[in-house]
Amino acid sequence: MLARVANNLYWMGRYIERSEHIARFLNVNYFSSLDAPNARSQDRQFVLRSMLFMVGEPVGEDVVLEEDEVLYKIGLDADFIFSIRNNVKQARENANSARDLISTELYEAINKFYHFVLNYDREAFLKNGLHDFTVNVAEMTSVLRGKIRGTLLHDSLYAIILMGVNIERATQIIRIINTKYQDAMNAQGSYGDKFGNSFEWTTLLKCAESYDMMRRFYKKTPISITTLEFLILNPNCPRSIMNSLNQVYRHIKVLDPSKAYNKNSTAFLVGKVRAEYQYKYIEEIEQDVQLFIEQILNSLSEISKKMESEFFNY
Amino acid sequence: MSREYSITYTAENTYEHAVNDAHWQFLIIPEQNNSQDFIGVTFENSLNAMIEYSINGYGFKTIRIHPKINFHKITFTASFQLIKKDINPFSFDPDPDISKSYSTIDELNFKVDFDSFLRITHFTTLPKSNTPLFSFDTSNSIFENLKALNEWTFMHIYFKANVTDVETTLDEIIEKRHGVCQDFTHLFCALARENGIPTRYVSGYLHQGNGYFGDSQMHAWAEAYVPTIGWIGFDPTNNLMANTNHIKVAHGKDYKDCAPLKGVLYTTGRNETKHTVKVASQQQQQ
Amino acid sequence: MFSSYQLNHDLYDEIFEDHGKIKEVYKKLFDIYGEHSIRDYVNLNEKAKSSFFNQGITFQVYDKEKTHEKIFPFDLFPRIIDPKEWKIIEKGSVQRSKALNLFLWDIYHDKNIIKQGIIPMELISSSANYLDQMNGIDPAGGIYNHISGTDIIKHNDGKYYVLEDNIRCPSGVSYVICNRTALKRALFGVFNHYKACSVTNYAENLLDLLETVKPNGVDIPNVVVITPGMYNSAFYEHSYLAKTMGVELVEGRDLFVENDFVYMKTIRGPEKVDIIYRRVDDAYLDPLEFNPNSTLGVPGLFAAYKKGNVTLANAPGTGVADDKAVYTYMPEIIKYYLGEEPILNNVHTYHCSRPNELKYVLDHIQDLVIKPVDEAGGYGISIGNRLGKDEISLVKKQLQANPRKYVAQPIMSLSVHPTYIDKSESFEQRHVDLRTFTVLGKDKEFVLKGGLTRVALQKGNLIVNSSQGGGSKDTWVLKK
Repeated sequence: MLARVANNLYWMGRYIERSEHIARFLNVNYFSSLDAPNARSQDRQFVLRSMLFMVGEPVGEDVVLEEDEVLYKIGLDADFIFSIRNNVKQARENANSARDLISTELYEAINKFYHFVLNYDREAFLKNGLHDFTVNVAEMTSVLRGKIRGTLLHDSLYAIILMGVNIERATQIIRIINTKYQDAMNAQGSYGDKFGNSFEWTTLLKCAESYDMMRRFYKKTPISITTLEFLILNPNCPRSIMNSLNQVYRHIKVLDPSKAYNKNSTAFLVGKVRAEYQYKYIEEIEQDVQLFIEQILNSLSEISKKMESEFFNY
Repeated sequence: MSREYSITYTAENTYEHAVNDAHWQFLIIPEQNNSQDFIGVTFENSLNAMIEYSINGYGFKTIRIHPKINFHKITFTASFQLIKKDINPFSFDPDPDISKSYSTIDELNFKVDFDSFLRITHFTTLPKSNTPLFSFDTSNSIFENLKALNEWTFMHIYFKANVTDVETTLDEIIEKRHGVCQDFTHLFCALARENGIPTRYVSGYLHQGNGYFGDSQMHAWAEAYVPTIGWIGFDPTNNLMANTNHIKVAHGKDYKDCAPLKGVLYTTGRNETKHTVKVASQQQQQ
Repeated sequence: MFSSYQLNHDLYDEIFEDHGKIKEVYKKLFDIYGEHSIRDYVNLNEKAKSSFFNQGITFQVYDKEKTHEKIFPFDLFPRIIDPKEWKIIEKGSVQRSKALNLFLWDIYHDKNIIKQGIIPMELISSSANYLDQMNGIDPAGGIYNHISGTDIIKHNDGKYYVLEDNIRCPSGVSYVICNRTALKRALFGVFNHYKACSVTNYAENLLDLLETVKPNGVDIPNVVVITPGMYNSAFYEHSYLAKTMGVELVEGRDLFVENDFVYMKTIRGPEKVDIIYRRVDDAYLDPLEFNPNSTLGVPGLFAAYKKGNVTLANAPGTGVADDKAVYTYMPEIIKYYLGEEPILNNVHTYHCSRPNELKYVLDHIQDLVIKPVDEAGGYGISIGNRLGKDEISLVKKQLQANPRKYVAQPIMSLSVHPTYIDKSESFEQRHVDLRTFTVLGKDKEFVLKGGLTRVALQKGNLIVNSSQGGGSKDTWVLKK
């Protein structure tokens, strides 16, 4: 496979995954805030600020935000590079250049996705389309994941796409954790450990589509420590950092099956990062969540850079 | 008797911003021919990039470089050794039948075989004028006419460095009457071709020990095809026949086919290129 | 469905005879289509369109503000060519491709056809598409124009004429296959009644024939398709061909040359490339040899080609032979190299470079089509009887200023075919042509049994190119 095309497929995977997380974040935060148990969590400004923080465009406390403007910007704005629309556009551009390699079915699904987003009416979106739009984006990304799994050969091409998907998933989950962690600091609960009991932990789990499973696993209302443990360390939670790292490790082994010791290879680095989190416990992380977030984001970006120089150098 | 030459070509390129992808192709290796032999080549570059030897579209030897790292400055140093046989430019029999030669150049087969060197190119386009600048006297042989054209060109244009560049065309040369070897040669080629003589632009090195015109860069002269004799070299910049001091590298329709250095690179900002050529020789005793 | 169809008797209609009787070969189709209401047809048409759109079979159109994606308009009413006529077209296409190939060999070697005075030297020496660098190069298998697209029309005398030979990078073959797919999806029933030849075998034949011209010393050649990139209007076709041949689709930046061999950059390091089906024009192939500003090409590619280490299809410099001035000598070229009479007619051509013919052209502009000799895509064409007074004098001025640049031909009346028109929601007569695709390999050739029927969608328009608002139809060559 051409190095350039591999790079494009990797980013196709990342952009598909990214659009989904942003869409779901928008949806969950907006709708769960409508009847949130405390005033702070219900506050429009608070929710909008949280959304902007998550997509990487944070604004200060003193700025007064317009709901329509923020939603449009994150959803459909052609001039905002982090908008869902631009993520989907990027996913398709990357797919375009690899069109001869991916299945017709996958390409057609991406193309449909693109036209859906591109043609989504601004008025309808702002009036009552937020739910419809974000749910559709999330669903279409699952269709894409299905097409990736179901219509491509499970070879190095597949491995590269899934490397992109999983590195992006881990990155986005951390960004969401980071955002909701900040939110929980700002919107604390009303009894006992106010931070630990914040309503924002529930929202966080919902943003990661992991609320139900978490309830099943712990059989308790989510609090800070269980939520973080579940989303970071539980290897069976399909959205957890640990699970993503395991996937990344599996796929890098397809690209680089060598068993020889090579401390400069991407596979070595992935293995090292994975081993580090495999044997971490949540209390260690909880001592300094901020530090953990920085470290893991760093590691993920190191992995991405290594991949670039090892496989995508053209 | 022959001469042993040692030629050094250096080029130094500097760029304001880093260059991240560059390809260069040099057309500077002396040609192997009847009078040039035992050619030795050494080539170095300051980045130690891999050196590839190849052949260009016109069949001349090239050197290609493609550094794989970013840089602001690169220098190239090439040195060549060769043996140049002594040439007597007049070592052929005079044309026995002048009119037959003129009819030869008029034949279709001749025109077809030498088509590319009869063609008017960008650099050999003469400005439209009612009276030709130089017409052959058909009572004299083609060779005599070419010699006259060589002298005419030499007299008509004044050698002046740095007033023209590689983009200058003949209308400007004819109007201002100054230029360098490249301009002399283009004018000679254009006028010889206008008179039906296949003529090619030659790029090479000139041994300047004798106070010839030229500068410390590559030289240019022309070769014209004379029926029954073959290709003969004329140096209109110096009103000379090409001789032992002329070391040929390549020929083409005009400068464009012979540019000594072609580069394709991705960078922004200003850049500067400096070339120098040194030609040293030693008489060989036989 | 055809109740409102207006038959213009001055035009040659592909499905109706003069007195309105339907031609035998179309009868069954006509009956089947007749069972549908125009509503059904409109629905099917819409579905076919959205299927093209969703599959991303589109090209980009640029206007002032932004780029649009457009589908190549497609008509659900197929064109049928009966086996007898097809035989002529197929033989004629191969004959022309072979003659052009021999012509290219000759003009890049001994130039005998010029020395014998059959075609003038200026045709070559003044052509921007003649590459001196190709002189004396023996391309692998002796093939220059591996892929040719021949544009054929039916005149109102019922005979086929060739309008153009395209031997640079002829495009359109992917649409032939897409049109068939779309028609099968929409109206599968009709295929029970007609035995149309398959068109999906193009890619395998192309690959097969390309492999016959592999460089010496290569066992299993590595073939790639090179594209200018995804913003090129034919990118869909490039990716389609790469995908169906099962080879890599590369851009210039994916390739590099080392020691006169060509390699592509893969995730596992460099991999040697032996055959390049190039969809990049000559000038952009190698910035060290041709246009130095090209970023689409590969530095050093031509040197590798000259050395015989890589095959380029089509060869560089083929463009000289699809110059419209060369076209006018096709009958002579065919006779000279093949000793045969041309199977397909040439349209008589006036060379504006010849003073007496220029005079005729200037005096008869109203009855002629004026074409620049070196433009593709239908650009720069003037049709005499469509010109106003001012335009005529402008064209005259252009002709006098630069006669070598133009040829003129009688206005050919392209045949018409019933075509569904969105605006009127009915079938109307529209002019059509046919582009056939011929592939030459070493001692082997292949003609796609079908071809692209292009339709000029504007009423009365004779220019069918997609860049000029043309559409296309599925084209059935019937099995015997």
